[in-house]
Amino acid sequence: MRIDAGTVRKIAALARLRVAPEDEERYVRELQEILTYVEQLQALDVEGIEPTSTVVAGEPVPLRPDEEISSDVRDEALAAAPDREEDYFRVPRVV
Amino acid sequence: MSTAPKAIAGARERYEPVIGLEVHAQLKTASKIFCCCSTRFGAPPNTQVCPVCLGLPGVLPVLNERAVRDAVMVGLAVGSKIALRSVFARKNYFYPDLPKGYQISQYDRPLCEGGSIDIRSGEGWKRIGLVRIHLEEDAGKSLHPEGRAGIHTTRVDLNRAGVPLIEIVSEPDIRSGEEATDYMARLRQILVYLDVCDGNMEEGSLRCDANVSVRPKGSTSFGTKTEIKNLNSFRFVDRAIAYEIERQIGLIESGGRVVQETLLWNSEQGVAESMRSKEEAHDYRYFPEPDLLPLDLDPAWIESVRASLPELPHALRERLVREHGIPEYDAEVLIETRSLASYYEDVAARSGQPKLASNWIMTEVNAIRNRDGLSIERFPIQADRLGALVGMIGAGSISGKIGKQVFEHMLTDPAAPDEIVKRHGLLPIDDEASLLELADEIVAANPGPAAEFRAGKEKTFGFFVGQAMKRSGGRAHPEKLQAALRAALAKQA
Amino acid sequence: MSASVHKETAEDLARSVRDGSRSASEIARAFLERTGRTSDRLGTYLHLDPESILAAATAVDDRRKSGEPLGPLAGVPVAIKDNICIRGVPTTCGSRILEAYRPPYDAHVITRLRQAGAILFGKTNCDEFAMGSSNENSAYKPVRNPWDPERVPGGSSGGSAATVAAREAPLALGSDTGGSVRQPAAFCGVVGLKPTYGSVSRYGLVAFASSLDQIGPLARSARDAALLFDSIVGRDPRDMTSRPEAKGVDLEELERGVKGIRIGIPGQFLGEGLDPEIRACLDQVRDGLAREGATELDVALPHARYAIATYYLIAPAEASSNLARYDGVRYGLRAGNGDLRGMYETTRGLGFGREVKRRILLGTYALSAGYYDAYYLRAQKVRTLIRRDFTEAFGKADVLLLPVTPTPPFRLGEKTEDPLAMYLNDIYSIPASLAGVPALSFPAGFTKSGLPIGLQLVGKPVDETTLLRVARAWEKASDAARRAPALAEAAA
Ligand SMILES: [Mg+2]
Ligand SMILES: [Zn+2]
Repeated sequence: MRIDAGTVRKIAALARLRVAPEDEERYVRELQEILTYVEQLQALDVEGIEPTSTVVAGEPVPLRPDEEISSDVRDEALAAAPDREEDYFRVPRVV
Repeated sequence: MSTAPKAIAGARERYEPVIGLEVHAQLKTASKIFCCCSTRFGAPPNTQVCPVCLGLPGVLPVLNERAVRDAVMVGLAVGSKIALRSVFARKNYFYPDLPKGYQISQYDRPLCEGGSIDIRSGEGWKRIGLVRIHLEEDAGKSLHPEGRAGIHTTRVDLNRAGVPLIEIVSEPDIRSGEEATDYMARLRQILVYLDVCDGNMEEGSLRCDANVSVRPKGSTSFGTKTEIKNLNSFRFVDRAIAYEIERQIGLIESGGRVVQETLLWNSEQGVAESMRSKEEAHDYRYFPEPDLLPLDLDPAWIESVRASLPELPHALRERLVREHGIPEYDAEVLIETRSLASYYEDVAARSGQPKLASNWIMTEVNAIRNRDGLSIERFPIQADRLGALVGMIGAGSISGKIGKQVFEHMLTDPAAPDEIVKRHGLLPIDDEASLLELADEIVAANPGPAAEFRAGKEKTFGFFVGQAMKRSGGRAHPEKLQAALRAALAKQA
Repeated sequence: MSASVHKETAEDLARSVRDGSRSASEIARAFLERTGRTSDRLGTYLHLDPESILAAATAVDDRRKSGEPLGPLAGVPVAIKDNICIRGVPTTCGSRILEAYRPPYDAHVITRLRQAGAILFGKTNCDEFAMGSSNENSAYKPVRNPWDPERVPGGSSGGSAATVAAREAPLALGSDTGGSVRQPAAFCGVVGLKPTYGSVSRYGLVAFASSLDQIGPLARSARDAALLFDSIVGRDPRDMTSRPEAKGVDLEELERGVKGIRIGIPGQFLGEGLDPEIRACLDQVRDGLAREGATELDVALPHARYAIATYYLIAPAEASSNLARYDGVRYGLRAGNGDLRGMYETTRGLGFGREVKRRILLGTYALSAGYYDAYYLRAQKVRTLIRRDFTEAFGKADVLLLPVTPTPPFRLGEKTEDPLAMYLNDIYSIPASLAGVPALSFPAGFTKSGLPIGLQLVGKPVDETTLLRVARAWEKASDAARRAPALAEAAA
């Protein structure tokens, strides 16, 4: 898979990351190198192999009973907000 | 902005609309789907939050058992196949009211697959297939208050973030706005019967997105679809779909092409507006949620949930028809809610008059409920009292007309109907002497019509019945009154 | 008196607090004093608050005075990697994006440590969001290796490993995703345990790659590591991936020696590129354990060589999602003015360092439409093959012996310009991470130039005991675990 500056810009946009233009070349090179390295997986025959998304096995653990417990973190959480308005988190306008 | 609909005469008949609905229903759990916070509606902003639903660094989701049970109940009620293993996935996108930067949902392995809901279409029934039902978490709420000049901000309230939802995805089997509305109403009814969702569209407990496309009649391929979001009332579902069908046909007929896009229904202007034509195509990068294990269900547990299902609307409707001999139309009205149906069954049993009971509920009871916005639970006349009244009418001991007067009194007077009849002098007049006296009086007061009757004009008899009833305040026993009138007319010949 | 405190084992310190021969305050003061002498040079801590440490120690002493029962770690300082949440205490994960962040809650392991009577002893430096193998990716400062300050301590739990090696703290917690406890333990000459995935609750551990992350203890001996592990192990209802069958370690078990234990060595996998001194050390340990009664056999891990490629798809993919929450909305850094999109991009562009950004880009790419099947899904399937290799190997062997790293600690700056070379350094630690099995790094010997060599033991699920038991046997048979870095000796 060939990576170019356009690809880096596209995935950076998807990941909401500002990449300085002077860093673009570097990311292209590094990602290319890593993706070339991982190409080796293409050589393996994985036909019929189940993917592993978790290594936990055994009996299912019990689910959480539907009980309401109020948390005491609200004020701390709002105080930690970079910007707030009354008791809301505030961000630049969405629409 | 999308182009306004252009009705093109005759074109409508040449196209077939194809509609699929995605309905999000909020489950009535006490706590959120992955944390212990309350799900109560209307609390002050950001009061029902904790580290988990705030998406703080280091927290993990823990699945609410009740949410799973509720979703399985819905799946069983609509005939879905319940997956013994389903998998939660992360749907990744950035939005200020999405605290983790992803929504935990289900993707390629949902909890329920298949199933159907029967709707009314024209004269008959039509089956709308379901693709899937899956569990997911709700996002918070973004508010966009009109700011002071030059200040443009959005406020975020995370009380709703993490409230459990089920998403019910239909097959594209729906063909009109009316069908869509009926589908919504029946789905809502099932959810309310199961007591898993309060069905309140204004508060957002039930939300609908519609995928709409049109194709030439007879075609089996699909046209380009648009998705209309934010249909938060039955009326908007109908209107927005009708609008979009017209718009698409108009566009195609005038040589244009439908563009695949997301539209937002603007209920004030009655138009669907394009939401994000400039945004890059969405790439949600779904992958299995590593913080939650696959959800494995025990078949025996699923059967125990099935056994706990209440009687569902369609079964109840059929039973009412079967057991009480009432028309399907009546049954349909009476199963509006489970409690209305059981109210009906009590009235029918108490009165011994199943059809008359149905008539009274559909007309008199529902008129008052509609006028006052009352659920049947809050209706002032309990089933046993209405049953007694309907029984009296059915037995002929009072007329329907008197019955209505008694009914009016019963709305504010908790006394039994026979008590009210006595207290307000509404007892029927059925002794011959009184009736003869009344008949004599009426005949004497109307010599003209009496002469006509005697001259052979039988139709005039109705006039005397009417006058006599009016004079008696409707209390006269109808058959006995007629006999008395005939006697009076004959006597004074 | 305080001069000897830092040489004691955690086990002895706790015992002395319980029997009253030492006070927790005395221990806390002694370690604060030692740490004060070396931590600036080593860069081990991002946050250290002597006042709260002394207050916690006094509280333990008060409990003893009032006759309350004291826990197994009574009065023992435990340093905490800065990606584990402590209520009200700065938790930065070595990142600018969380520079002033104080969590409003305790991680599960922190609650457990408080219950055990431990003294929470400062937040240790680490690679940003635990991404790194040298601790040079900390946004604040690098950590230096106590054995040679020109060399890296390993990463990402470099601060935790270095502080234990330098005798600044008797115990520390780190986190291990692809080797982040074991590799710095090896570079710093201490014991580092990565428990079975699911043995220790991840609640309150800031996520890097959720299907791999585990919190693990760092200590100077197998017994101390066991003691700390025992205090944090077990099912936590707040973590659905934590397991009921997880179990602690009985210290008596560790003394049973290695007679009859079958040690598998994946000869084929060790291959080329392994430093000859490490290879020689491995042979020496193998022979030594055989003399103690262990049997040795060759095992195959045919897919282990694909582990790095697999890991560098799975871990960045999960990380790209886990790090989406750092968006400047609810906490942490916010930068940029103007529209929302610009705020997101600027905040994340400035808040994350280069390595973190590289992995977010890589992970986003691996999950994106059109590439998911070829990259992420395929990697998950290869992960299955790697797990099967271990299952088969454990049909024959009780425990596997292999290196932790292909080389001894390298110099600062040596690999920072070559990310792939840095990644390849994790070749021996990543397979056990992907399989979710427990793995332990223990001090095995030294290079001729005096740098520590750690070797790795990998065990069956929930069998941490056997790993610690074999490491304990080697401690008795060699002096590798008894040496201290000159810097620590000098400071004393
Ligand atoms: Mg949805
Ligand atoms: Zn919550």
